[in-house]
Amino acid sequence: MYNTRVRGILIKGNKTYGQVTRDVLRPMNAPAPKWWYITAFLAIAAMIWGVWGFYNTISTGIGTWGLNNNVAWGWAIINFVWWIGIGHAGTAFSIFLLILRQKWRTSINRAAEAMTIFAVMAAGLFPLIHMGRIWDGFFIFPYWNTRGPLWDNFNSPLFWDVVAISTYFTASFVFWYIGMIPDFATIRETAASKIKKKIYGIMSFGWIGNAKSWLRFETAALLLGGLAAPLVVSVHSIVSMDFSVSVIPGWHTTIFPPYFVIGAIFSGFGMVLTLMIVLRKLYKFNDYVTDGHLDAIARILTFISLIMGSAYLIELFTAWYSGNEYELFTFLKNRVTGEYTFAYWSMLICNAVIPQFFWFKKIRKNITLVFIISIFINIGMWFERYVIVVTSLSRDFLPATWATYEPTWTELAVFTGTIGLFVLGVIAFFRWIPTIAISEVKSVLKETTTLKSFTDED
Amino acid sequence: MKTNILGVYDDEHDIMHAVDKLKEEGIEVKDVFSPFPLHGIWDKLKQTTNLPYATFIYGLIGGIGSFALLYWTSVINYPLKFGGKPLNTLSFIIIMFVLTILIGTVLTALTFFIRQKLYPGKESTLPDPRTVDDKFVIVVEKTDSMDDNEVSRIKDLLSGTGAVEVNESDIDYE
Repeated sequence: MYNTRVRGILIKGNKTYGQVTRDVLRPMNAPAPKWWYITAFLAIAAMIWGVWGFYNTISTGIGTWGLNNNVAWGWAIINFVWWIGIGHAGTAFSIFLLILRQKWRTSINRAAEAMTIFAVMAAGLFPLIHMGRIWDGFFIFPYWNTRGPLWDNFNSPLFWDVVAISTYFTASFVFWYIGMIPDFATIRETAASKIKKKIYGIMSFGWIGNAKSWLRFETAALLLGGLAAPLVVSVHSIVSMDFSVSVIPGWHTTIFPPYFVIGAIFSGFGMVLTLMIVLRKLYKFNDYVTDGHLDAIARILTFISLIMGSAYLIELFTAWYSGNEYELFTFLKNRVTGEYTFAYWSMLICNAVIPQFFWFKKIRKNITLVFIISIFINIGMWFERYVIVVTSLSRDFLPATWATYEPTWTELAVFTGTIGLFVLGVIAFFRWIPTIAISEVKSVLKETTTLKSFTDED
Repeated sequence: MKTNILGVYDDEHDIMHAVDKLKEEGIEVKDVFSPFPLHGIWDKLKQTTNLPYATFIYGLIGGIGSFALLYWTSVINYPLKFGGKPLNTLSFIIIMFVLTILIGTVLTALTFFIRQKLYPGKESTLPDPRTVDDKFVIVVEKTDSMDDNEVSRIKDLLSGTGAVEVNESDIDYE
């Protein structure tokens, strides 16, 4: 039972149900503000540059990237892992917190899930173009073919990736969409314009919201949530196996799956924090996404940051304790004190040190600082993937084969393009989809808006 | 011919008590509309769902089916050794795990849509459109055997339990 005496008020302003509907739908009914058009313009500009990068990659080939025989994986895999990591928050948020019956999730889960969808879409583009011959992309699926039939290698982590990412996208999308159906019905019944009524009518699938449909809805949500919860752990474990099943120093470690999963949840929550601060500022949702919500995310980040810090230390310890000179070289020489010092220490400071400032209540209450720290987390997590990919590949066993890696304009264009795609997706979501789950907020409204005393009956 | 009596409520607790009261008086509650799930109403209306069993079966089908695919392709149809590893390996479990979830999720969602008769573009009319916003509605079916006394008794009961409005409606919703 949610005790407001202990946990604080969840939805402020003592709202009625009707007010919740109107508040959440208000930005959708108002004409799009100026910032919306400016952001959309910038995002589309970024995407156009990205399309140039795509075209360059596909028409000329992977040679347009800064890769070489040694560093055969560069920005593409770094950005892929980074986006997938960001995408983890939606599932972690809505599904873990749904199963744990955390009521504060209700104001945030819709936006976090939307973020998941667009981040996974952005991530998926990288392996797609990394294949080089994108028109042969369907080769990755097991289908009856005239080459034998020669099937996929089902023991390859790269194939596991294909299965894991497509499953993750499908499951997240289904869960997200089913959750939105009652809210689309609310728009259908309350919208003033005929076109809007029609469009949201189609999207609402004819939802009526009687007892039986809610029963099935609740059961389906719990079942889909329960099914998707293991995906949070499995997807990034599988991504980590792309690295850890190889014999490259710095990759060949058993810590990788949990380390990647925690890293993904960390970066995802960091991005949720960034996004929720922006959303609540632009749409004045302070009553729904209260300081308490942001405080809760900040606390979680502090804790995960500690796990990240210990993972970094354990990596160093294992490298030393293994007595393997290549491991020692990669970690203690190459990363900590060598050529990649900047990237390594950026990662360590952004992920393990800066979030620790959240221990101070004053900092957690200062939303500007919280926002800045969340940006640091996003950057730090990008550096983590950079450190893992580039430091290990560029300096491997034989000094004669050492090589350096620098991204080219094409790679930069592709990355910028995916950021444009993500931003465009997010602002389209801000504009046309209720950013807060209306029916879920209503379901926790009564018990969480008024301050109860300890003696009150639950 | 008006076919349903609607009791419109403002509060979720009022409507729960009202359903109990109507049941005590021997009046059958046909349905309840609400803007969000009312936990506990399903027991009162004796509604259950078998969706969890369906999901379990889908998961089972998914798990066994994906193992069958992996075994058949890698061991029977085109046995090809990779790195000296056995053809039938334990690492199949990763793909089985993920495909079990995929098949379970997709089929559960489809079952939900089919059982609930939800599809894109379905036209539906609510007895009271405000139930998706801020009102809660009890629906009592008006049958031919009811005389005017019975109807007014039901209406009085509804207003007595806190209904802010009592209406009649002939909308045949599904």
